[in-house]
Parts: sequence; C-alpha cells; structure tokens
Amino acid sequence: MVGEELTTMDPSGLKAIGAGLAVGLAGIASGLGEKDIGTAAVAAMTEKEEMFGKGLIMTVIPESIVIFGLVVALLIK
Amino acid sequence: MLKPQSMSRAVIVGHKNVLNKTVDTLHNTNILHIEDFNESESTFKIGKPFENAADVSKKLVKLRAISSYLGIKPKEVPKQNAERLWMELDEKLSALESELNEKTDEKGALENRLKDLEALQKDLEPLTGIPISLENYSGYESIAVFVGIVKEDVRSAISEITNEFELDYDSQKNVIALFVKKEMEQSISKVLLEFEYRELKIPKLEGKPAELISNAEQEKTKILSQIEAIDRDITSIREKYSDFILATDEILSIESQKSEAPLRFATSEQSFVIDGWVPSKDFEKLKTTVEKATNGHVFVTEQEVKIKEEEKSIPIEYDNPKISRPFQAIMDLYARPRYTELDPTVLVFIAFPLFYGMILGDIGYALILLSLALGIKKFVKIEGLVPLMNVLIYCQISSLIFGLLYGEVLGFSLASLHTEHGVVEGLIPGFETITLFESPIAGEVITYPIHRTHMATTMILISIIIGIIHINMGYILGFINEYKKHGLPAAVLEKASWFIVEIGAGLIALGALGYMPVTIGAAVLLIGVVMLAKGEGIKGPLELPTLLSNTLSYSRIAAVGLSSVYIASTVNLIAFEMLMPEKFGIMTFVAIIVFLIGHAINTILSIIAPGLHSLRLQYVEFFTKFYEGGGKKYNPFGYKRKYTEE
Repeated sequence: MVGEELTTMDPSGLKAIGAGLAVGLAGIASGLGEKDIGTAAVAAMTEKEEMFGKGLIMTVIPESIVIFGLVVALLIK
Repeated sequence: MLKPQSMSRAVIVGHKNVLNKTVDTLHNTNILHIEDFNESESTFKIGKPFENAADVSKKLVKLRAISSYLGIKPKEVPKQNAERLWMELDEKLSALESELNEKTDEKGALENRLKDLEALQKDLEPLTGIPISLENYSGYESIAVFVGIVKEDVRSAISEITNEFELDYDSQKNVIALFVKKEMEQSISKVLLEFEYRELKIPKLEGKPAELISNAEQEKTKILSQIEAIDRDITSIREKYSDFILATDEILSIESQKSEAPLRFATSEQSFVIDGWVPSKDFEKLKTTVEKATNGHVFVTEQEVKIKEEEKSIPIEYDNPKISRPFQAIMDLYARPRYTELDPTVLVFIAFPLFYGMILGDIGYALILLSLALGIKKFVKIEGLVPLMNVLIYCQISSLIFGLLYGEVLGFSLASLHTEHGVVEGLIPGFETITLFESPIAGEVITYPIHRTHMATTMILISIIIGIIHINMGYILGFINEYKKHGLPAAVLEKASWFIVEIGAGLIALGALGYMPVTIGAAVLLIGVVMLAKGEGIKGPLELPTLLSNTLSYSRIAAVGLSSVYIASTVNLIAFEMLMPEKFGIMTFVAIIVFLIGHAINTILSIIAPGLHSLRLQYVEFFTKFYEGGGKKYNPFGYKRKYTEE
C-alpha cells in the first residue's frame, strides 16, 4: 500500500524540493565563502578605508554560487 | 571622454623675493598639482615655511579646539569678506577665547562644588540616625569618641568593662556613637574590634547631619540650575560665533596651506623651483597669471613628459561629459584609471543603470526610491553623498522604464494574463497581455507587458546574451589598451585571441547541431588557445574557464530580478489573500501592516541586491578584461572657499 502511494506522488512536489535544495545548499556554500572573505575585507578596511570598494567586490565574488543555484532552481520550475 | 584629461608638467622658477606672491597666485588659481620635492640626490634644499606659519597654525589649533568643544558643524551661511575677517581675527578670537574660558572656568568650579557636596552627603548619610550635632563629636580633653559601623549592638559588651559611657546606636544602619573616658580608650577599642568596628569620617562642620544633608541638597539644585544657565550661555556663544569660527577656520587653513607650501618646493640660496602638473588646456592660463602677478619675475616652462617613465606620477583628472560624472564616484570606489588607460566611466554610465533597471524593473519601487533619492539629495548635506544619490536617480529612471516594459507595480502585474491554469487578473481592469511571438526556447511566449515569471528561461538567455556583448566590449577596450601600451602583436596575442576562442566555441556549437564538421570549430579554438598561451604564458589557458563562468554570471540579471519579484508577490499574497478578511476588522490592519513592512524590507533589498550585483558585473566581469587602475588623484594646490570670499 505504501509503495502505491509513493508512485502516485505529484512530481511537482519533487521539483519543488529539488529547487529548494539547489538554492539552499548553494546559499550555504556562498555563505561559507563570503564569511572568510568578509572577515578579511573588514580587517583590511579598518587599516585602510579605501579598501572598501575592493573589499566589497571580493566579498560578493562567491555570491555567484548561489546565483547559479537560483538559476538552476528557476530552470527546474 | 574615454580618456583622462591630458596633463602637462609645469616648472616654475624664480627669485625668492617673489616666492610669496607666486604661492598666493598659485593658490588662488587652484590648478597646479604640486609634485613634492625630494631632497636626496640634489643640490637643492627643501624650502622653509613662511614666517607666519607658526603663528597661523597656533591660531588654527586654538580655533579647532574651541570649535570641537562647541560642536560646530558645517552649514550653509552667506560668505564673509576675508579681508575684514583678517582684521578682526585676533581681537575676535581672543574675545571668544576669554568669553568661553570665563564660562568654562565658572562651570568647572560649580561642577567641583557639586562633587564636594555629593561626597559630603555620602559621608553624612550613615550619621543621620544619631541625633548628635557634628560639632559635639570632637573637641574633648578627657573623653574619647568612637563613631563607626559595627556588626551589632555593643551596649552589653561595653557595660561589662565600664559604666561610665554614653552610647547612641542606630540599629538600622548599625552605626554607633560612643563616648568614654580617655583612659578606657585602649580596652574599648579592643572590644569594638570584635564587633568589626569601622571608623567613620566626621566632616568638620556644625549642625545635625540630616539638616546638613538637606542643605546640601538645596545647594545642589541651585548649582545645577546655575550650570544650566552657563550651558545656555555657551550655546549662545556658539550661536554668536559659529559663522565666525567656520569662516576663520577656512581662512586660517588657507593661510596655513600657503605658509607651509615652501616645504614642498626646491630652493637654493636665492631661488626656488616649483614642479607640478596642470591640465594641458590650463597651462597657458597658469603661465600668464603667474607671470602677470609677479611682473614677469618668474619663469614658467612646460617640461616634456616621458609618458612611459612618468606614468605613475601623473595625477589623473577625469574628463567626462557632465551627465556621466556621478559615475566617477563608482570608478573611484574601484580605482582611478592610469594616465595611458581608457577611462570607462561613460560605459559604466550606460551599463550600470541598464543592469540595475533590468533587475529591479518595478514602477512602484522605482518611484519610492526615486523620491527617496531626491529627498536625501535635497535635505542631507554630506559631501560625497550627492554623486551616489545621482547614481541612484539614474538607476531608478532605468528601472522605471523597465517597470513599464515588465508592467509591474510592487510585485503586482498591471495587465491580466491568460494561462493554461486560468486567468491572472491585473491591476488595471481591461488591460490585457498582448502576445507578440513565440520565444525560440522552452516554448515560452513573448508578450507585452513581459511577464518575467512566465518566461524565466528566455530572460536568463537574454541576460547571458547581454553578458556576452558586455564582456566582448571589455576585450575590445583591453585590445586598445594593450595596443597603446605594448603594440599590435601583444594586443593580438593577449586580447584578440579571446575573440578567436569565442568564435571557435561558437563553431563547435554549430558543429554539434550538425551544420558543419566539429573539427573546424575545434581547430579555430586551438589556434585561439595557442595564441593566448603565447601572449599570456601559462596563465592564459588557465583563465579559459573564466570565459564560461563570467558569461553565466550575467544570468544573475534575470535570477536576482525574479527573486525580487517573488518576494514582492509573496508579500502581496500573504497580505491580501491569506490575511485580509472579507469584512472590515482587526485583521484588515494586520494585513496592511504586513504589506507595509514586507515592501519596506523589499525596498531596502531593492537598493542592495540590484546595486551590488550590477556593480559586481562592472567590477569583476567587465573591468578585469581591460582595466588596471591605480592612478593618483589630481589634487591641485588651492582651496574651494565655502564661507569666505576675497
């Protein structure tokens, strides 16, 4: 009986789970990357304020990962 | 446009007699960027500051100290006559100083008295429970007095030793006042030690402690009101002198700059040499004004510039049309261009708002942020904020245009849309979505207004195509830069090779689709890679994958935009379909609050997310193709007067 229920599961639910995983996991990865870079960027900024621009750019570089996740999620949909 | 202003190296030589006049003139014209003189390996010496330097800086220090004590803030006031200011300066400055000193001394004395009173109250506090006047605690020849805090009542312990004593005990505070014969002092103090006796200090005053405390309280309130009055006086001094302080700070700063300028010049026994940079178009102006001011007693020449050797020392001034100037702030955030480099400000002026608008593309948010930016520009006067607000305004105009294209207001769709799942009503009744043509991919349909959420794949593809154009523009600029710097062969190998790689990749794609043999594409690609390897070394081929990742990175234009639409429409969904009741009631307010807070948060996100992502596309994807930066800022010797005029 249980098996039967599983086979009739709505595929859009699985799609939603997949999309969620794509964004969520990619978001964690981005966060891990940005955490270290951000720390270093703030440290550099306290010594030299002009580093703000470069620090900001360096910090958002791993943002790409979550964007790719988001794109994948949109395509799954 | 596309290039920094052309600079000329000016050398000014003259006799020391006219140094003062020359410095004055240079400072007034405010166009010469002085190159500091370096004493080593030269027969010349660094010049000495003018005689008034010490005096001026002394006054400036005094004035700044007063200004920071009074908390003077920059503001807009009518300009004052500098000459009259100089005449009044000494007198007014010393008047201000003495007035302020008098008040601060008075205030200091009052504050000291206040502290003394508080200390006195603290000393008297434990004695309030004992009805003895202070003067009665001392002045005896044959009686010893113990006043202090103990653990518990000592009466029984004392009476074991002697009957001749007088004891007052305050059981609440555990304070004793004990009077005994002098000869008993030793033995009594031993007994008291067992009760953890701690002596209290008796202030040398007369009267009952409680009365004294209330007197002190009265005096304290009097002093506090006096201090308040003095504070009011200080505020009125601030009002009276703030214009004077701002203006004087300005003229003293100018004078101090001038009097210390010779420290940057080369001098010999009799002559001086000033070396600096001036925009080429202003060289004649510099020459004529300086020569005229000194009756031709100084000699101004234009030195030949060896661009290759001197590139790093040439200061950079932008040369942009007025409309794109706010974006210089965005350039400065990264780095100023070098002298021989292309200045991409104009391209950023086009691409930055374009990407921003494509991402946000919402009439509602655009109007909110536009009025916010205009308001901040009008009411908040912080230097450096105006260009950023102008950038924001440009971005909002762009997102307004895209908002009309997308037909979105705060996440609502303006037009109604017929889909296979039924009809989605739009905000404007009767405004139907018009189907234009079918998109070649993913079976999506291109409509007006463009429903982004229904054509995600097409939007992503469009973003990537824009990315390819943008990146290739970067390579073209890189080619020009490299050509100017290292000649044609280097430019072809290092930058044009990327085009060949791209063409090769394109041909391979065509081959995979079956239009031509894949080998042709592969051969072209290989040629490109070999050229790249020759031009950039091993670094070149290693960077090949960035071509793919950079291009895909532009898909963020579609993705971030969609996420912002989804946030907005989710807020609307929660507020209007989940919370809003049929009948008017308390839940109506809850729905409205959710609506307001949700959109407030999304408005803030609408600055950060599109702004940062658009900025990043410029800095990371675009600039890395051609831009080095690192030019020095052109900082002419002079001063922009705000509070004074000559």
